Amino acid sequence: MTRAGTMAGLANRWGFHAVLLALGALMLANLNWPLVQSFEFVFIWEYRIALLKGFGITLLLTVEAGVVGVVFGTLFAIGSQSAYSPLRWLVGAYVEVFRNTPLLVQLLWIHFALPLVTGINTTALVSGIIGIGLQAAAYYTEIMRAGIQAVPRGQVEAAHALGLPAWTRWTRVVLPPAIRTVIPALLNQNISFFKATAIVGLGLLVGDFFTAALRVSNDTFHFLEPLTFAAAVYLVLGWQAGRWTLRLERRLSRGER
Amino acid sequence: MSFDYNMILRYYPELLGGAWVAVWITALSLACASMIGAVVCIGKLQKHGAANRLATAYIDLFRSIPEIVLIIWVFYCLPLLFDIGIGRYSSAIIALSAYGGAYMAEIFRAGVQAVPRGQVEAANALGIPVFHIARRVVVPPAIRRMMPALVNFLTELLKATSLLALIGVSELTYVASTLGSKTFAYMEFYTAIAVLYFMIIFPLSVYARRAERRRLRRTGN
Amino acid sequence: MSETANGTNGGDPIIRCRGVVKRFDDFTALDAVSTEVRTGEVVCIVGPSGGGKSTFLRMINGLEGIDGGEIVVDGIHLPGSKKDIQRVRREVGMVFQSFNLFMHMSVRENLILAPMTARKIGRAAADERAERLLERVGIGDQIDKYPSQLSGGQQQRVAIARALAMEPKVMLFDEPTSALDPEMIKEVLDVMVELAESGMTMLCVTHEMSFAREAAGRVLFMADGQILVDAPPARFFSEAEDERQASFLSKIL
Repeated sequence: MTRAGTMAGLANRWGFHAVLLALGALMLANLNWPLVQSFEFVFIWEYRIALLKGFGITLLLTVEAGVVGVVFGTLFAIGSQSAYSPLRWLVGAYVEVFRNTPLLVQLLWIHFALPLVTGINTTALVSGIIGIGLQAAAYYTEIMRAGIQAVPRGQVEAAHALGLPAWTRWTRVVLPPAIRTVIPALLNQNISFFKATAIVGLGLLVGDFFTAALRVSNDTFHFLEPLTFAAAVYLVLGWQAGRWTLRLERRLSRGER
Repeated sequence: MSFDYNMILRYYPELLGGAWVAVWITALSLACASMIGAVVCIGKLQKHGAANRLATAYIDLFRSIPEIVLIIWVFYCLPLLFDIGIGRYSSAIIALSAYGGAYMAEIFRAGVQAVPRGQVEAANALGIPVFHIARRVVVPPAIRRMMPALVNFLTELLKATSLLALIGVSELTYVASTLGSKTFAYMEFYTAIAVLYFMIIFPLSVYARRAERRRLRRTGN
Repeated sequence: MSETANGTNGGDPIIRCRGVVKRFDDFTALDAVSTEVRTGEVVCIVGPSGGGKSTFLRMINGLEGIDGGEIVVDGIHLPGSKKDIQRVRREVGMVFQSFNLFMHMSVRENLILAPMTARKIGRAAADERAERLLERVGIGDQIDKYPSQLSGGQQQRVAIARALAMEPKVMLFDEPTSALDPEMIKEVLDVMVELAESGMTMLCVTHEMSFAREAAGRVLFMADGQILVDAPPARFFSEAEDERQASFLSKIL
């Protein structure tokens, strides 16, 4: 690509490498070597049960976000196509509120403020499940809406012209191609929610994987090992899932026509 | 239960102070993230070699680690690792900049690649100096291409500042939490900050969406 | 306009339009259109593009709303409730310019979906009907293929069979051959001619004047949202009674 070449011309290739090397050397020189030498990863093994339990909660929240998100996102997306304008408006408002405020604030609101309205105190985990479910529904609604709008108009018109009942029109004609086109987007969104479970964990202290790692740190006064291990786990899983999604996306787009 | 507006009236200076902290941390982080992003983007634009691989690794690394994990890691581990004192605010900005750099690099790359290749070649053929090519031919279409994604990322960054409450940076969410636990008026304060966040973020999202639609209508890609 | 109903087998009117109006914002697409179609009649609608032909056709089965006047199809009044529109659609088959087959379903699934869900007939009967109709349109051997594996002409014939599977009383054709390569037009027209001869009531928007001449009992000429001419094909093509008709014919013949 020529434009890449042009940009490359802006930064002399060798100069670039020299800067990188210098940066790396600077970092190595300033490392706290005594600390690095005292690394002990044995804690991770000692606390394996706690960490695994935490990971179970992380998985639970991730799967829940995906399932609740797809189910309610699909329902809300169908609602957003309704001829009845108050329903469209309601879905729109819901999506905007949950997409344009931070997840942590939603979680805190649900855990601390909502019980004052309902009179029902929820445990941290239940609040977390409600919060991530509500947000997932909002994000997946947007994705499903895009998928539905990508279905050619003629398909919907043909369904109307055949007199298909609304249920059949949605489940057999509109949703199958709509979902097919957005599968990669759905999966990418679920990877985002996998990452967001750490916010639920730490924000409400529900004892997810990351909170468990932080607890190990607090117990042992070793911060670097558990936290770096936790970061590495998120990195490897998130990165690998992203690669699978990309591969699936390529295969799906090749399968078309 | 009743909504006690007096609580908000009494404590609104604190809340606005928290909002201001969120805004300036966002601004500073975005500036640093842009610089990191530019460097990483140049690395990524190399077709191959160490620079490309390093840039790819950087992007993958900081896009795969949850922001909150990064914030906590920088706050607890970075000072230990280099045996230096880093305050809450500095570690917050370091974490958000490192995370933002990965996203900014991708946004810049999309912008650069929006530049029509033929125009750069034409400018090269005319012997226009590289700096002027960049300024007159590369940058304008790149900016148009980048703006929606950039503003969109800005909303993500604003939302991410709420996570700084968890390391004790007194931004909006932290202020609301402390006020809440002091007065038990959780309802009032959490609602108030939700509204504040929404008022800051929603207009940006609307702009990003409109700009993206305009761009798609004009260029089709 | 009833002086034209001679020449065909003159059953009762199955479609009756009175003063039908359609507006898009401040553009009037249909301006008080009135006509009747009798059972067994084949009516071709011709005219310049933008004249309101397709809009008119789409209003008959409720794909477009009605802004004034009324359309009565087999005793059901439009505009009407959702239920009425649904009832009309089950009696009226429609064939589109771009086929609009369900691309993610096999030919068989395309044909049995509506009978099974909208008419509630059993799977075996639906299958039997699908096979019979595909034989009738000459592609019985393609039943387990997907639309993307068929040629345009074959797809359009599947689309005709799909509409017929609902056993409609009226068939609407919206420029059914306009999206086809020339060599495929005939295979679709042959099916339509056969359908006309079998006594099906048909309303066709088309540019195929040979079809209009051969199969139609009446030709309607539409321009500027109005029916300007309503005549049997022999008279329609020989003597122009409107100056826009004359200019249209001079361009097309």
